[in-house]
Amino acid sequence: MKRRLWQIFGPVVLAALLVIGVLLAPLPSGRIAKDKLAAEAVSLSPNVLGGARVKQQAQANGYVPFFGSSELARMDPFHPSTLAAKYHRAYRPLLLGDPGTQSLVHFVDDQSQLAQLKGKKAVLIVSMQWFTKQGQIPAAFDMYYSPLQLSLWLLRARGSEADRYAARRLLKMDAPAKSRLDRQALYQIAAGGPVSGWVRPALQARLQMLRNEDRLFSRFTGAANWHRIEAGEKQLPSTDDPAVLNRLATQIAKQHTRHNRLGIDDRFFRERLGHGKLKALRGSQRHFEYRLGPEYGDFELLLQEFAKNHTTVQFVIPPINARWAAYTGLSVPNYEQAVAKLKYQLRSQGFTHVLDLSKDGNQPYFMQDTIHLGWRGWLAVDHTVAPFLTQPQPAEHHRLNGHFFGRAWANSTEVPQ
Amino acid sequence: MLNLQPYADPQYFLLLILGLLPVMVGLYHGHRLKSYETLISLAFIIVMFTGAKWHEGVALICYILWQLAWVFGYTRYRKQHNQTGVFVCAVLASILPLVVVKLTPAVALHPSLLGFLGISYLTFKAVQVIMELRDGTMKDVQLMPFLRFMLFMPVLSSGPIDRYRRFQKDYANVPARAQYVTMLGRATWYLFLGFFYKYILGYLFGTVMLPRVERAALIMRHLYWLGLSPALIGVTLVYSMYLFFDFAGYSLFAVATSLVLGIDTPMNFNRPFQAHNIKDFWNRWHMTLSFWFRDFIFMRVTFFIMKHKLIKKPVRVSQVAYLINFLIMGFWHGVTWYYITYGLFHAAAIIINDIWLRFKKKHRKQLPHNKWTEALAIATTFTVVCFSFLIFSGFLDRLWFK
Repeated sequence: MKRRLWQIFGPVVLAALLVIGVLLAPLPSGRIAKDKLAAEAVSLSPNVLGGARVKQQAQANGYVPFFGSSELARMDPFHPSTLAAKYHRAYRPLLLGDPGTQSLVHFVDDQSQLAQLKGKKAVLIVSMQWFTKQGQIPAAFDMYYSPLQLSLWLLRARGSEADRYAARRLLKMDAPAKSRLDRQALYQIAAGGPVSGWVRPALQARLQMLRNEDRLFSRFTGAANWHRIEAGEKQLPSTDDPAVLNRLATQIAKQHTRHNRLGIDDRFFRERLGHGKLKALRGSQRHFEYRLGPEYGDFELLLQEFAKNHTTVQFVIPPINARWAAYTGLSVPNYEQAVAKLKYQLRSQGFTHVLDLSKDGNQPYFMQDTIHLGWRGWLAVDHTVAPFLTQPQPAEHHRLNGHFFGRAWANSTEVPQ
Repeated sequence: MLNLQPYADPQYFLLLILGLLPVMVGLYHGHRLKSYETLISLAFIIVMFTGAKWHEGVALICYILWQLAWVFGYTRYRKQHNQTGVFVCAVLASILPLVVVKLTPAVALHPSLLGFLGISYLTFKAVQVIMELRDGTMKDVQLMPFLRFMLFMPVLSSGPIDRYRRFQKDYANVPARAQYVTMLGRATWYLFLGFFYKYILGYLFGTVMLPRVERAALIMRHLYWLGLSPALIGVTLVYSMYLFFDFAGYSLFAVATSLVLGIDTPMNFNRPFQAHNIKDFWNRWHMTLSFWFRDFIFMRVTFFIMKHKLIKKPVRVSQVAYLINFLIMGFWHGVTWYYITYGLFHAAAIIINDIWLRFKKKHRKQLPHNKWTEALAIATTFTVVCFSFLIFSGFLDRLWFK
């Protein structure tokens, strides 16, 4: 009978030991091949965003993080990744973001990288569409929720003003509030201290397991976007001449925007606005409000991380397609106030590299669709970003201000001069 | 507060195995640790209904009191009398909470306060006891065994639906050691097969593939009549696979846990996609439910019609009984157009199937029968079943009306 019991449970015990062994052992990270890394850098995969292995190796190989959201997926020939690859620039963009990745997702998911960015440069494309009254969409947060990255922050946090603010915000999202471990840790940080007691070793064990999962499974992510970059490269001239590129962008964009009055990419228009959908959207953004809400505080979390690590960041504020804004009734004065508020938050704390394109929404062939950069818009970004990344930049002197975490700032439409 | 949903994550399985370890040791040595088993089962039930779900816990307690009143009231009554009116009254009262829970979302657009996870399955069990009392196949019910049967922890949330007398027999008999070890062997196999079904295949179909094909079908819908795009075939197949592997995986967990407790809970699935016809399919798919419907709805309706001579032709009798049977099943799934259509669709399918089987019987000489016709039968059944699952999924509601 004992033998039969062994026959039944022996393999189970053995399997359990093997799994625990593999998850807790310090596994090697392995080196990612150059081509694979290039593909991962433009994959926009949530696994890359939430993982650590690919980001770490990309950073070590001359990649610069381009934090952003949905515009990163507009991979036409003038996309930063295409230009950098074609003209063998000294940097390669590591694209981090996808629809719905707002400040809070970036704050959590970029944790493994922020420390690595010490004294280095980065680019952050910040969309005014993030700054709704709700701020971070909880469903999107759940989708990009990375327990690995969150564990890194939880173990690092000491209960400072920024830590307490972040903990309170994270408790409002579903994924961390559902996990008992996350919740306990967040309570401790929100109460003003570091994570302690049983929660700490539990977090460390989880982190080790997740790191190993990342090491094992980040090898199997799909990388479907690389061919779009290659296709774009083929359309570009061999010399990197702004005037020639500008002409080419106009020419290509013209071909793609023939069948609608908004100057939007025809395919996007057909799929997303065609079949009578556009009509239903007339005036639909009359009450859109980007001036108020928790996103300003969440954005401050990112700023404080950058300042703490002496990272020099080029901020880019993309415009909204002016014809689209007019059609949907978006209030331009309110939008401009929101941009001014954001720029004040940056400027007053010593962040000097801000490329404000918000007034360029009426430039021809600047936007690929309603709110996303394309063609000449990407060239305008390149015009500032390329020199920023290739030339040495003087160190910035940051004067952080906790006021930006507060409710007063979130609810204020007044921008000091 | 700790909250554990049954079979939801690795933590649950670890705690379950730890909690049941003393029961296993006891059964191995020929003893059933009754008090411990009751306590640990209660503990697992309590943590199902903590935190945000506390009101479901309250609903469960009220529900159990309600069922106790009706089942024991009827047991006492049945010892002296046997009037049909009282029996009907007891059955209606027993299903009343379930009816309210199913109707509330359709009427008031919010879930009912009486609802809790598993209410359907508890109702099936309670109704079955009342029916058996009426038939006289059961003479008496005791409080503790009835509660144990109703609240049997492994199957509380979603079945399989056991029968009182069968369950009671297993509980009263402690299996011999060799027999129990065989049960443990089966439990281990079912548990791991369940992991493979629910967490690998179910995840692959439900979480990885389903959202993609659904999105493709929604994007393409304008290009095709009624949105019947090729992607919709993808949705149909992927959803069908997800439905099977998710539910079959869960059922395997429930059976495995029962086996560890020395209870041989009946299986829910027997290779349903290998069915040769719709009748065969319902003998293989969600078996404990379809057998419950067969015994307590189809058979009863059939007897009722025959006894009162409502319909003359025997063929018509079974057709009407099928229709009522599947219509009730449709309503039980929920009061939406697609669940009810799903019920009607299966009623139609099984009626047509019956006509075909009678035709086949008459013309046995002329009709070929070989492995190719069998393959055709399986493929046809599979297609019809998958299409019914597309209706069931509610995706058509999103495709057409949202």
